[in-house]
Amino acid sequence: MADSARSNSALGWLADPLASTADAAQRAYRFTSDRRAYLAPIAIGLALLLVSLVGLASNASQFFYSYFIGWISCLTIAVGGLFFLFFNHLTKASWSVVVRRVNEALVWAFPLLFVLGIPILFGMHDLYHWTHEELYVEGGPKYDEILAGKRGYLNTPFWIGRVVVYFALWIYLSYKLYVLSVRSDVEGGEGVPAKLRKVSAWGLPVTAVATAFASYDLLMSTDPHWFSTIFGIYFFIGGILAAVSLMVVLLASFQRVGGMLEGVVTKEHYHDLGKYMFGFTVFWAYIAFSQYMLIWYAGIPEETLFYKHRLMHGWEWHSAFLIIFHFIVPFLILLPRFTKRSIPTLSFMAVWLIVMHWFDMHWIAAPTQGAHHTFHWLDLTLGLGLFLIFAGTIVYRLSRHSLIPEKDPYLGDSLHFENV
Amino acid sequence: MDNTTSQPTADQDHSAGHSHHESLVKGDLSFHDITEMVSRHTEKKTPLAWYVAFGLASSMAGLLLLSLAYQVWNGVGVWGNNQPVAWGWPIVNFVFWVGIGHAGTLISAILFLFRQKWRTSINRAAEAMTLFAVMCALIFPTFHVGRVWVIYWTLPIPNQMEMWPQFKSPLLWDVFAVSSYFIVSLVFWYVGLIPDLATIRDRSTTWLRKKVTGFFALGWTGANRHWRNYEKAYLLLAGLATPLVLSVHSVVSFDFAVSVIPGWHTTIFPPYFVAGAIFSGFAMVVTLMVVARKIYGLENVITMDVLEKMNIIILVTGTIVGFAYITEFFMAWYSQVEYEQYAFINRAFGPYAWAYWIMMTCNLISPQLFWFKKLRRSIPVMFALSIVVNIGMWFERFVITITSLHRDFLPSSWGYFEPTFIDVTTFIGSFGLFFTLFLLFLRFVPMVAMAEVKGVMPEADPHYYDEGDGRAAGTSVPFIQPAQEDPGRNEAGETRGGR
Repeated sequence: MADSARSNSALGWLADPLASTADAAQRAYRFTSDRRAYLAPIAIGLALLLVSLVGLASNASQFFYSYFIGWISCLTIAVGGLFFLFFNHLTKASWSVVVRRVNEALVWAFPLLFVLGIPILFGMHDLYHWTHEELYVEGGPKYDEILAGKRGYLNTPFWIGRVVVYFALWIYLSYKLYVLSVRSDVEGGEGVPAKLRKVSAWGLPVTAVATAFASYDLLMSTDPHWFSTIFGIYFFIGGILAAVSLMVVLLASFQRVGGMLEGVVTKEHYHDLGKYMFGFTVFWAYIAFSQYMLIWYAGIPEETLFYKHRLMHGWEWHSAFLIIFHFIVPFLILLPRFTKRSIPTLSFMAVWLIVMHWFDMHWIAAPTQGAHHTFHWLDLTLGLGLFLIFAGTIVYRLSRHSLIPEKDPYLGDSLHFENV
Repeated sequence: MDNTTSQPTADQDHSAGHSHHESLVKGDLSFHDITEMVSRHTEKKTPLAWYVAFGLASSMAGLLLLSLAYQVWNGVGVWGNNQPVAWGWPIVNFVFWVGIGHAGTLISAILFLFRQKWRTSINRAAEAMTLFAVMCALIFPTFHVGRVWVIYWTLPIPNQMEMWPQFKSPLLWDVFAVSSYFIVSLVFWYVGLIPDLATIRDRSTTWLRKKVTGFFALGWTGANRHWRNYEKAYLLLAGLATPLVLSVHSVVSFDFAVSVIPGWHTTIFPPYFVAGAIFSGFAMVVTLMVVARKIYGLENVITMDVLEKMNIIILVTGTIVGFAYITEFFMAWYSQVEYEQYAFINRAFGPYAWAYWIMMTCNLISPQLFWFKKLRRSIPVMFALSIVVNIGMWFERFVITITSLHRDFLPSSWGYFEPTFIDVTTFIGSFGLFFTLFLLFLRFVPMVAMAEVKGVMPEADPHYYDEGDGRAAGTSVPFIQPAQEDPGRNEAGETRGGR
């Protein structure tokens, strides 16, 4: 048994910064399923990406849009997971200790997402209208005074620089949280919660600022004339909802399919995760409503255009679908106690909310390519493909370490946790 | 009856398995001690200091009354409001007080749903403070309508004039939002009070006191069924109050944000106003509790740990608010709308720059001191900072209201807004009303939720008495002693209060 966790090889670092510590883990907390659990989703994901290359040849613009929507959905889930982890550390939550490793495995998705983000650089011209040079030719036919005014901020080198900074920060923080926790499995957990709390304390405000600006740069600037101060909150709240949902899906499949964590993660923990799903569903609706309400009521053309594009050419159905299935239906289903304690129902809703999160990202980004574009087969292949790779690598990380932070001093509380 | 002697041993045994949980109540207090510590302030002879404080506060409230009478007699013109600053101090004060009135229900409802047990020592006083703050808030729009005697026209009451309020106006939504919030907060506060009122009733030594508290205790006996219904009602009310906490200040923010006024119309307003409200409300709770716990000797119940948690929330919400200021500024530039840009540059560097920088310093910068554990656990620092925060939050509303209005779309009407003497006396007077009501609360109502505090003490654990065959662990003294003859202050009253 190793007495300290070593670093992984340089290439493997992308997927997991630490060498496997699974041998040191207690039997009850070990990943006992086989390699297919993560190889299958990753392989299917890669296959879907390969199939999509056909689309790249025939319709490059659509390819980049679909790729971007899939990628930003995964990225927001990782950001949401990072926030959820911060909250749990900062509030000294003890109930969540047994579900925390899944959350930690989730946040180490940033390095991979960074690499997966590189293709977007080749689609900047399609995705980001503000990259077009002719907009800035004074006196030219396409000169855009507004975009020329914000060129100091929205220009490719500065944009790339900022995105690199955001990723550097996210990766650094998730490295700290992941490595401190996984190392504690081998090296002992005394004093680790305090260290994790310390990282989270400064990490939270810094990540909040980075995430808000990332939301403007990555997503809001696909419609470069439009602006909304609440957008950063919208971006992160949808992500955190999907992140909690993904944790439920992973835990439920580990238990029901893999037969792991029996008696460790109980109904009580699902119930609490379900409460968060409910709470963030409502919070998402609150933010989405606030944004719509204020823009609709004031009726200033430069703002209302965003909604106008999403209320015509078939997009009105998407908008209605979003309200009904991202808010009303999950709200009603997740409100009662028994649905949150029924693992099949809760897992179904978790999958549902992850799909709705992707739908939401699609609803924001896709109309900017032209109001007539709704769904394309590439949306499915690239969205699902990227998500499977994203989820598969989470399972891969989990397979290499104990499934829970087994030496956490609060573990006892978490194992015996009951909702009262 | 005193259990304290046998308690320490038991305490140590039971806490052994949970060494990292710090106990919420310090000083080895028993259930009875809690009852005694809290109830006696409503029972003892009124101290002279209370009369002095009450005299001062009610004189200030008198000033409010005079100012309002003067305003009703002469009209709204006695205030500084004028074109283009049609909304002056009254709306600033309204939002200021409504904001403060967010802490109580947040502490009782949202923290209850999050099972934050430390809330129990402060929720009662915070909720009372909330109700009083909302009352102070409601004064301003009520009198601002000009003809206060027809204020009921704001309600949709069928009438022979076929006149209805303007449903499209956020000001009307305010009427609904704030009044629902007030009613639900009041019911929530009262429901929480019932077990404690019964304790006070059972301790009463005079006929009148017994009748009055007995009336309000609704025949509470502490029966199992009573507790069951009570806890269900409390949970449901907490669930109902939670969206209300968020909706009230969201609707207040709509007063500004649905308009097309630069600096007002920005989508972040609802969550940012809610964060600001929590920020100011918690600061007010700290201001009041730091003083009250000292004067009433409640340091072991309203502990330093509780105050520290309050201060952390102040730090978090202050930072959120500060980041919202920066976001607005950035987005005004990013929007490339020249009016938005001007509004914000004018805020920061125009004639009201002094107010803007007071706001920034008090709300964004000063709470950052709470990063240091030593400072957030220091009574003088937190007391001073809590006041600084509320000064800052008043200035935030001043900045939002005045700077966006004083230079409107017609430069010929630009001017420098100044409040009148009556503006100032009305505002000072509202503090008088607030403190008058709060002093009455401290004098007549148990200021700490005794039953709830007992519920989070180790003795409330069903297994607390397991060891030693129903006896205190390690001693041969029975832990629960038989009830005594004296019906006044005996154990029965205690078990009723506890849960």
